[in-house]
Amino acid sequence: MRLVLERVGHAFLGRAVLEDFDLSLAAGEVVALLGPSGCGKTTVLQIAAGLLDPLRGRVQRHYRRHAVVFQEPRLLPWFTAHDNIAYGLRAAGVARAERAAIVAQRAQDVGLSLHDLDKYPAELSGGMRQRVAVARALAVRPDMVYFDEPFTAVDVGLKRILQDLVIEAAAREQFSALFVTHDLWEAVRVAHRLLLLPRRADGPVVARAIAGEPGRRRERDIFALVEAWSADPAFRELFDGRESVH
Amino acid sequence: MVRRLIAFIGWAGRYVWSAWAGACGLLCIAAAWQGAHEFYGSFVLPSPVETLHEVAAILREPWFVRAAGETAVRSLIGFALAVGIGTLTGAIAGYSFAAMRLMRPIVTVILGVPPIAWIVLALIWFGSSGGSAVMTVVVAALPISFAGGLEGVATRDRALDAMARSFGGGMWLRFRTLTLPHLISYLFPAWTTTAGTAWKVTVMAELLSNTGGIGGELATARALFDIPRVMALIVAVVAFALLTEYALLHPLRDRLERWREAGLPWGVKR
Repeated sequence: MRLVLERVGHAFLGRAVLEDFDLSLAAGEVVALLGPSGCGKTTVLQIAAGLLDPLRGRVQRHYRRHAVVFQEPRLLPWFTAHDNIAYGLRAAGVARAERAAIVAQRAQDVGLSLHDLDKYPAELSGGMRQRVAVARALAVRPDMVYFDEPFTAVDVGLKRILQDLVIEAAAREQFSALFVTHDLWEAVRVAHRLLLLPRRADGPVVARAIAGEPGRRRERDIFALVEAWSADPAFRELFDGRESVH
Repeated sequence: MVRRLIAFIGWAGRYVWSAWAGACGLLCIAAAWQGAHEFYGSFVLPSPVETLHEVAAILREPWFVRAAGETAVRSLIGFALAVGIGTLTGAIAGYSFAAMRLMRPIVTVILGVPPIAWIVLALIWFGSSGGSAVMTVVVAALPISFAGGLEGVATRDRALDAMARSFGGGMWLRFRTLTLPHLISYLFPAWTTTAGTAWKVTVMAELLSNTGGIGGELATARALFDIPRVMALIVAVVAFALLTEYALLHPLRDRLERWREAGLPWGVKR
């Protein structure tokens, strides 16, 4: 197990968002974390990635290095795309000369041209910025990647391309991933299995396995599964459009 | 390397060329000045040309070079101290809420005391030396840098900070790559204001405490009713202030903040 969360609980200003939450991720496994907005998906991710200390419970990380892809690209506006991709490497203490080769490789992996690498984030389109963010995460050769609704802001066509990129990279480099999303279709495309968080902290967590390997599933099967689950009472909260009360 | 050099020459050329626009503004002032001169006559307000002749004359005299040097050194020390102390304390206040609560009122008090009162105090403390001018500059200009440092650090992007922490970036790396570039955009306006203030306040303090420098010369010229010389000295001080801002601070800012220009749509650049 690369990541184990045991009976994790958290509250913001006394309002419980998580209670007794368990999660374990095997090597090379991609788990999608779904839920209505405000249910604590991002909180789980932040606790797992060590950006937030949980109030209760235990987190065990059995991996070398992780990377996070956030909902917004979170690029440094004063760095070029090249320096942004190299940022994680720089934090890890990789020498400058070594960084350049890795950056060029990763840029190619996510479909950025060498010409784009000299541009500042302000000169890139939204999709390209998110590509840079993905390349930055992959550049450190993580064995665990956290995705926090990374493709919410891009259009459907591009979303598919970026998802395929993640699926491909996960298969190639065998990293485990926790993929937070509120899009059932996205979850069914990229993950091996999914967890659905309830709106109320004490509600039941729904766990479902998704047949087949990500990237090898037929589009028709994906749509059929999404349609079936959409009608499933267990997934009702995901579609009723209500925000949780804060 | 060659590409970089060409890019630098291109940038330098554009920067120098942009001086035309600035010169237009200055020439408008000169025109108004000339108009006032025609109305009041040479005794009250010498014309721009007369003044420039006088400037050329005093530039050749050894006392002026010495006086300008004194003023320059004093305002530079004052500038360095004000910017150094102000930025540092401001940044600390930006990081620590407690420090901010403690320092804000102190700065407000410093801000509330009129500079002229500081000159009187400085005269008593430092006597007729350059120290009084330096102290007055520091006191008058410090709050601006403090506010810049405070706002810059307090408004740093926490989301970027979380990103850097997720990669295991240490304190120093985060400060250098995240906080500092953001801070600089707050500090530059503060620094340019401070540079201008430093010249003005130094001359004022010198004039009032009669401690040489351009201010001292100004006092003498006033006593002798040498109006062209008064005007020439004023023009010289203004020229120094313009020079510090446009030959020193602005090019530096341009170089450090090239990424900002990249964000502007095509055709709006410069």
